[in-house]
Amino acid sequence: MVTAGKGAAMLFLHGAGGAGRWWPFHEQLARNFTVRAPTHPGHGGAPAADWIEHISDLAFHYLDLLDEIGLERVHLVGASFGGWIAAEMATVASHRLDSLVLIDPVGIKVDGWIYPFLFGMDIPDLVATLFHEPAAAMALMPRDQSVDTLVELYRERAALARVSWNPYLYDPLLRRRLGRIRARTLLCWGEHDRLASLACAAAWQAEIPGAELRIFRGSGHLPHLEEPETTAAAILEFCRQP
Amino acid sequence: MKFYYFHLMPYPMEHDEASSWVTLSNRHYDPVVGHTLYNQYLDQLEYAEQLGWDGLCVNEHHQNCYGTMPSPNVMAAMLVRRTHRAKIAILGNGLPLRENPLRIAEEIAMLDVASGGRVISGFVRGIAPEYFSTAVNPTHSRERFYEAAELILRAWTEEGPFAFDGRFYRYPYVNPWPRPLQKPHPPVWCPSQGSSETVEWAARRRFPYLMVFTPITRIAQIYREYREACERHGYTASPYQLTVNLPIVVAENDAKAYEIAQAHALWVYHVGLRVAAPFWRPPGYLSESSLRRVLDNPTKLPTELTFEDLEAGGYIICGSPATVRDKLKVFSEELRAGIVCSGMNGGTHERTLEMMQLFAEEVMPHFRDDAHVDETAGVGR
Repeated sequence: MVTAGKGAAMLFLHGAGGAGRWWPFHEQLARNFTVRAPTHPGHGGAPAADWIEHISDLAFHYLDLLDEIGLERVHLVGASFGGWIAAEMATVASHRLDSLVLIDPVGIKVDGWIYPFLFGMDIPDLVATLFHEPAAAMALMPRDQSVDTLVELYRERAALARVSWNPYLYDPLLRRRLGRIRARTLLCWGEHDRLASLACAAAWQAEIPGAELRIFRGSGHLPHLEEPETTAAAILEFCRQP
Repeated sequence: MKFYYFHLMPYPMEHDEASSWVTLSNRHYDPVVGHTLYNQYLDQLEYAEQLGWDGLCVNEHHQNCYGTMPSPNVMAAMLVRRTHRAKIAILGNGLPLRENPLRIAEEIAMLDVASGGRVISGFVRGIAPEYFSTAVNPTHSRERFYEAAELILRAWTEEGPFAFDGRFYRYPYVNPWPRPLQKPHPPVWCPSQGSSETVEWAARRRFPYLMVFTPITRIAQIYREYREACERHGYTASPYQLTVNLPIVVAENDAKAYEIAQAHALWVYHVGLRVAAPFWRPPGYLSESSLRRVLDNPTKLPTELTFEDLEAGGYIICGSPATVRDKLKVFSEELRAGIVCSGMNGGTHERTLEMMQLFAEEVMPHFRDDAHVDETAGVGR
């Protein structure tokens, strides 16, 4: 877990390929918050976590982590897959959240939308699905092509697949539970997200009481990579409100 | 030596797409052509019995032009009523791919009863792309395989009804009618790709083990591990627990055989087994140790193989009857395998039938010392 910055506690949950990464986006958040960016079990070189069978296992894992480090309340920020985990946490423990920020989360079934199947894509298709500007994909490049790295990446994909292969990228129970969330919620969405379109953003906003939606015009699925400054600024502004 | 005729029932075609599996559009499939092909393929299998083959093999694959038998049990059912002597080997049913594997216990029992006990039941996990075609979670593959196998074996051997409560499969009443005719159950074979876990599992249960479309040196190594595992479990593997499993091309002379092989044998590798990279490696399908073994010993992709690779690597056997006899002898001795499991492709249906006849007349009789042995006695159960 990377911990940096000063101020109120903020927990950042990464998406696929984001394990162990500390980007300018994080740096900016750390100017006003003590940011903790843990690595999901089975990701970033951590041992395989075969005990994880369902997305809620990850949600409880992080609620336990808050207890362990003695944080009664946090600002919770999750991107993509991490946003899904954050939403699951919020449905059972929103009283512990000073605020909830979801960046292009997956995790709910949206009528008329089927998430493109990333597991079946080669790299060019992945980049085209996830990014508005392909050059931004460099931030997710693996460090090398050694056997150790390839095994690590395979383990990471397996950890994702364990909880998201079928139903693909959603928990059928999550959507109808989003109404339980009482924390102030900000949805950040890349306008050109081709994995979870703006139709998904509208569904999230309709389900979470009072949720605000910010659209990032120059981004795909990962505005915190494509427009890190404006995304971080929007989050800071939202989380610093009382 | 026992001879089993192996059929994939391909849909032979050329295309430029990246994958012959999962995403190759089924608009390429012409059912009128398919009608002719299915009937020719079934004719070939029936003819194989007439020519003296001991077994007829069908197998399960989904959403591709490589093998158009999504339900091998359907093909086996057709063969049951049109043949009378040969074993019918289903190599196999993809156990983890089923949501209700009790259905496999039922279907195999039906076939076994109807055929008078001629069925061999292969248990397979299904190859990697099948997890994309069926949406079954590949990280559950191994566990579902073992659990479904246990369920099916118990359903065949224990008096019902009993309750089964697994992680993936749960039934308050397991009580299939009919029960299989063979006792204690139809022989089980394990076609596999060489993972050490499956080798161990098959050896412990005396289930014959076979590998397909793999270079002979690799097969020899895995078969060695299998025999060692059998010894560890207190018995010596019968030769009928291992097969020489490769395509055979035979013609009146070597030159003619090479000509046919060059024209038709490469299709399986260059088109049939053209699989887009992500479909080869669904997450969690391989254990990490198996993945490391693959990454540490990179081999050519099927699409990269040349005809010379196929010949030198022992992916196929081709030549005159005398050449094929010699190579078959070398292969069976090297692998210490008692069963030859192979299909033939002469380019057309008629030429395939001619090739089968040539093989049955000029090759098979030289390997018939064991004509009166039942290869399934004490094996596979």
